[in-house]
Amino acid sequence: MTMVEGLLQALVDGLTIGIVYVLLAAGLSVIFGVMNVINFAHGELFALGAYFALALVGPFGGYGFFAALLVAPLLVGLIGVGIERYTVQPLYGRNPLYHILLTFGLVLVINDLIYLVWGPGNVSLAVPAVLSGTVTAFGLNASVYNLFIIAFGAAMALAVWALLEYTKYGLIVRAGSQDRQMVRNLGIDIDRYYSLVFGVGAALAAVAGIILGGYQTVSPEMGMSVIIPAFVIVVLGGLGSFKGAVVGGLAVGIIQTLLRTYAPILEGMVIFLLMIAVLLVRPHGLFGSEAPEGEGGGDLLTGSGGVLEAETRRRLGLAAVGLLALVPLGAGTLYSTYAVTLMVEILIWGLFALSLDFVMGYTGLVSLGHALFYALGAYAVAISLAHVGGSAFVAIGLAILLSAAIAWFVGYLSIRVSGVYFAMITLAFAELFYNLLFRLEITGGSEGLFGLSAYYGLAGVGISLEEIAIFVGPVALTGQSLFYYIALATLVGAFLLTRRMLESPFGAVLKSIRENEQRATFVGYETTVYKRRAFVISGALAGLAGGLFTLNAGYATPSFAYWLHSGEVIVMVILGGMGTLYGPIIGSGVFFGLEEVLTEFTERWRLVLGTVFVLFVIFLPQGLVSLPAQLEPYLGGSGPGPEPEPEPEPTPEDSSVRGDD
Amino acid sequence: MAAEPTQPDTDRRAAEEQILRTDGLVKKFGQFVATDRVDLTVERGEFRSIIGPNGAGKTTLFNLVTGALPVTEGEIYFDGEEITGLSPSERVRRGMGRSFQISNVFGGLTVRENVRLAAQSIDRDEYNALEALFKPTDRYDGMNERTDAALERIGLADVAEEQADALAYGDKRRLEIGVVLATDPDLVLFDEPTAGMSAEETQETIDLIEEVLVDQTLLLIEHDIELVMELSDRITVLNRGEILAEGTPEEIAANEDVQDAYLGGMIE
Repeated sequence: MTMVEGLLQALVDGLTIGIVYVLLAAGLSVIFGVMNVINFAHGELFALGAYFALALVGPFGGYGFFAALLVAPLLVGLIGVGIERYTVQPLYGRNPLYHILLTFGLVLVINDLIYLVWGPGNVSLAVPAVLSGTVTAFGLNASVYNLFIIAFGAAMALAVWALLEYTKYGLIVRAGSQDRQMVRNLGIDIDRYYSLVFGVGAALAAVAGIILGGYQTVSPEMGMSVIIPAFVIVVLGGLGSFKGAVVGGLAVGIIQTLLRTYAPILEGMVIFLLMIAVLLVRPHGLFGSEAPEGEGGGDLLTGSGGVLEAETRRRLGLAAVGLLALVPLGAGTLYSTYAVTLMVEILIWGLFALSLDFVMGYTGLVSLGHALFYALGAYAVAISLAHVGGSAFVAIGLAILLSAAIAWFVGYLSIRVSGVYFAMITLAFAELFYNLLFRLEITGGSEGLFGLSAYYGLAGVGISLEEIAIFVGPVALTGQSLFYYIALATLVGAFLLTRRMLESPFGAVLKSIRENEQRATFVGYETTVYKRRAFVISGALAGLAGGLFTLNAGYATPSFAYWLHSGEVIVMVILGGMGTLYGPIIGSGVFFGLEEVLTEFTERWRLVLGTVFVLFVIFLPQGLVSLPAQLEPYLGGSGPGPEPEPEPEPTPEDSSVRGDD
Repeated sequence: MAAEPTQPDTDRRAAEEQILRTDGLVKKFGQFVATDRVDLTVERGEFRSIIGPNGAGKTTLFNLVTGALPVTEGEIYFDGEEITGLSPSERVRRGMGRSFQISNVFGGLTVRENVRLAAQSIDRDEYNALEALFKPTDRYDGMNERTDAALERIGLADVAEEQADALAYGDKRRLEIGVVLATDPDLVLFDEPTAGMSAEETQETIDLIEEVLVDQTLLLIEHDIELVMELSDRITVLNRGEILAEGTPEEIAANEDVQDAYLGGMIE
């Protein structure tokens, strides 16, 4: 095969993947354009399409594929309508970032449902005989299926475009994406169209899932693996732009395939760099409209104000710290030593969640890539322990410095864009780093770094936690138990430090930005400067959390930077209560507590977690800390005060949850 | 010979009396010219109003002056210095206050915090970088004194600890003006401060502005012509982005071009 033929071959393959991306991104983009909803669950709808097709092809075989191509998207479309009606709709009018949170919860739910029903592993979707085989033309081997995807996908995209461009429905939908209120004023019930748009978007995703399933294989991870590239495409092309989705989809498909063939080291990084570059030059994407429609509509709901009296809160806090300090004393006697390990994890993630709350809850910047800083801290510690020396202090110091520096850099580039675009650009940075971790030698590639140990001291003089024991009465505290106190002290210290900052002039400005950024500007504050500072502090604390983890566990792996990690920490912040600093710590406890309790029943505990989270976003957006205030009217308001760490109310009642395998 | 040296002198005096001047200000949105070569001069201590029919470019001009929009051509001078490229927040710190319509206070913060934020903004000498991060706001004497003074002046001292959201309608408006006052402005720009208000509310608002901001230069954008006629020292009339006329209320009332523009541009 000559160079030219090889290139053409790669182009055909790229075009095939590109078409799949176009179908996926078109729905995503139109849903955003019309409803301002960033649908994270789009990838899962894509996977659902493939699995439904699998179920339909199974009994009918062969030509069942064509039937599946019709029926499965319809079913997924119906699910889409249901999702829009029962979960998305209650959130209209709130900040669009809540839709990100909601649909992230749906990702957890749908993904686990797929695991439950179809189980893990790759399955191939049988393609009818007509579509198999290859055609050879001009020395090029193109499989019939490739050509089918390209032709069918192009036809679908064309049909959607015609629908948008030439029908009455399309006109209303396009008008709605320009000015929703105006369309309402014309007497059109635009809300009804929302369900339809969501359904069509879901169906398109399902079509994409089916044809890709036939091309590659079907697996429960397929949704997660396409959703991030799909976002990149939508952001590249311009949120809400159909044309952008088409151009972006084809471009990303072709670029990815070419890179895989010619420069595999860059695969997975170039598209994120491209996205970052485009966002910086044209914040609204290649074809996006300049008008910041709906941007910043509705506030982020924080748990601050009216949530318990300050004095009650102080006493509860002291009591909680006191109780936490007792935990290691009972380990090995009252309960297993595993409790301490679990608690260390809760404390570290509590710190991580607190760091995110500092920017999200106080300046309204939703970082979808906070795992970047956690992973930076973790790797800084790992590399320091491996190459610089075993000092824990040096390692942690480096972790904080490095993550603060990178946070400054990321903040410098991304804080100029706001809202949804900020979320996307931080996501891109985190994914970039995630991909980088696999490729760098110093980070140990996909294995990561492990088997690290540290001493507490400087310049070779110090002690290892394993070598000492502190006796409290009859109990000897060593190793993990001692580390527990380090983690607890760090968390309490970070909490007090950030709380102090929020009482300072700096913190006052942060709060004013959260309340009303425009007004803050016209009171005389350069708000981007303040947001960037907050972001640096937050990044440093996240790095500290990641650093502590590696210090204790002795390893760091690329998964630390994965976007699900960023999502999980957001879940904790929302569960506990954003904008309170202590809420996210409670959120971390509940998160791991739920995991601990639920994994005893089912491996698919995220299904329950996702459901709880979705319910929280809809019904209790201010988090657990607002529960006492919410419940007060029902309890007559004379209760003796809530327990320090209330367990989550909504226990999963759906019987579907009990589908233990 | 004798006339020569006095010329720059009078110029300088004129410049000192001018608090705001725009030179050939142009703003284009694509092909559309929203502001067309506007030369506006506002003198210190004056109460100036800008009026004009719908679409005359009042709000655009306002946004150019406050820095909310970048200019296409021309320059803006404030207090004798060019500010054309400065950020909105820098203009506020130099003494250009901007008032919004009512609901534009920090609703989740207390009345005191609202006003203190404004005082804190112009008193940056009172804290260094470390103090800004770690010293609680209630420990800055100067800033708190100014906050208290502003609260007294707007008559909200006794509700200082309440959340701004919980204030009554009229008090919110007072707070809005108090926040502007606490930024210690030389010039205050008002964007239709009485939009959507009843006659009675309008009067209260105007009384409040006159009472609290009597020493400041005021620049008002208004729709309500009668109100403007009654209050202003001078009036500038905009039409299709251009200055159509400028003068005292009497002169404006007698101006035929103005009457035509209003009859042609808006049906009352």
